Amino acid sequence: MAWSKTLVLPFAGFCLQLATVAAEHGNHVEAAEQQGLPSAAPVIFHIGPLPVSNSMILTWVVSLLLVLAVRLGVRTMKDIPDGAQNFWEWVVEGLYDFLGGIIGADLVHKTFWFFASLFVFVVATNWFGLLPGVGTIGYGVAGEHGFHVTDPLLRGANADFNMTFAMSMVFFVLWTVWALQANGPMGFLKHIFGAKGGLSGFMGIVLMVVFFAVGLLEVVSILFRPVSLSFRLFGNVFAGENMLESMTHLGGAQLGWLTALPFYFMELLVGLVQALVFMLLTAVFTLLICSHDEEHGEDGSHH
Amino acid sequence: MSPLLFLAAADAGPVGEIAKTFGANIPALIANAISFVLVALILKKWAIGPIQKTLEDRRASIAQGLADAGRAREELAVAHRKSQELLAETGAQTGRIIEESRAAAARVTEIETQKAIAAAADIIAKARHSNEAELTRLKAELRQEFGRLVVEASVKVTGKILTLDDQKRLAEETQRQIAS
Repeated sequence: MAWSKTLVLPFAGFCLQLATVAAEHGNHVEAAEQQGLPSAAPVIFHIGPLPVSNSMILTWVVSLLLVLAVRLGVRTMKDIPDGAQNFWEWVVEGLYDFLGGIIGADLVHKTFWFFASLFVFVVATNWFGLLPGVGTIGYGVAGEHGFHVTDPLLRGANADFNMTFAMSMVFFVLWTVWALQANGPMGFLKHIFGAKGGLSGFMGIVLMVVFFAVGLLEVVSILFRPVSLSFRLFGNVFAGENMLESMTHLGGAQLGWLTALPFYFMELLVGLVQALVFMLLTAVFTLLICSHDEEHGEDGSHH
Repeated sequence: MSPLLFLAAADAGPVGEIAKTFGANIPALIANAISFVLVALILKKWAIGPIQKTLEDRRASIAQGLADAGRAREELAVAHRKSQELLAETGAQTGRIIEESRAAAARVTEIETQKAIAAAADIIAKARHSNEAELTRLKAELRQEFGRLVVEASVKVTGKILTLDDQKRLAEETQRQIAS
């Protein structure tokens, strides 16, 4: 019966944590009167030292469904695809060709697994976050404008800054690895700080100083890429969820669904576009550092 | 690592305030990163990897199929050209053989005709020779019979019994008279 303990104990812990959250939600009564999603995702329970927030639970649910959906579709790969296999092949082949056209055949062969996973994961979590119940089922308080959920059981994964920043940081680590693999340590530094244009003599020295300064700016730019990437995605999804909630409240108890409906379609589009933007930016950042100067012509205008 | 990651952990300062506002903290960040990396690796291992392999295998088999088809087309063209050449050569050979056969048949016909003519001439000559021999034999028999009839008639007319010498002389005289 070890398996039952394996299943029951975490579930019991989860319930205990939910009870704790429920006990703590009284602290949010005043804040609950204020409409909108809280900017920080509430922690539901802990696994060792690591906190598990409601957005992370949604991440796991989506991941599980995603992996199940993909495995069911491609469990037995047929030479002539049909049904789900056809769909997943279309997704993978479409993304591969799309990315290959942007970052080149060699680089896409090496990095595709990450960009495809990133895109599929972000789209899936963005769209799953739009399902009724996500962000609206949980613990809350009754206020002047009706019941308000302060601690939802599920929250859009990308409406949690920790998630988007974590994805950006994982990309940043991989970007560094790929950059070092493509250029080598010295090549990597030369790629950032090296003078372009091939001038020599006095002008060459001047250019070296200029390009070193440009390299410093480039380093700052590179270091802040994870921040911009994560805030862009988080901001769009977080704002979208807040807008949907506001529209629902605007319509009242009877017509809330109607006022929010058009914005659901917009959020479907935003979810797709933001996933595409995140993937494209990370892909282009990778291309910029992994490509060599001679591939960019004489002016070195890739920065 | 981005400096924000370290600054976010700091309680003080504007960056720390921003981090606190959005609930950013190192443990949550690590938990989310582990979660995302696990998903990415699972998708790589059991979804994207197998699909990519299938697609690459299919691309390779299509390329191989197209190459095979191209090669088969070339071989077909070569075979077609060779068959045309063979047909042309065979046609020429057939014509030549027919001509030779006709010539041989004409020669055989001529030879056989000549043989037939010679055989016919031989048959005619033999027939003629046989006729002449038969005629000579019949003439001789006729002369003998006529001589015998003359002797017999002479015996009856004369009433005289002829000796064998007389009969012989008379028959010979008769045959000589007939022959002359």
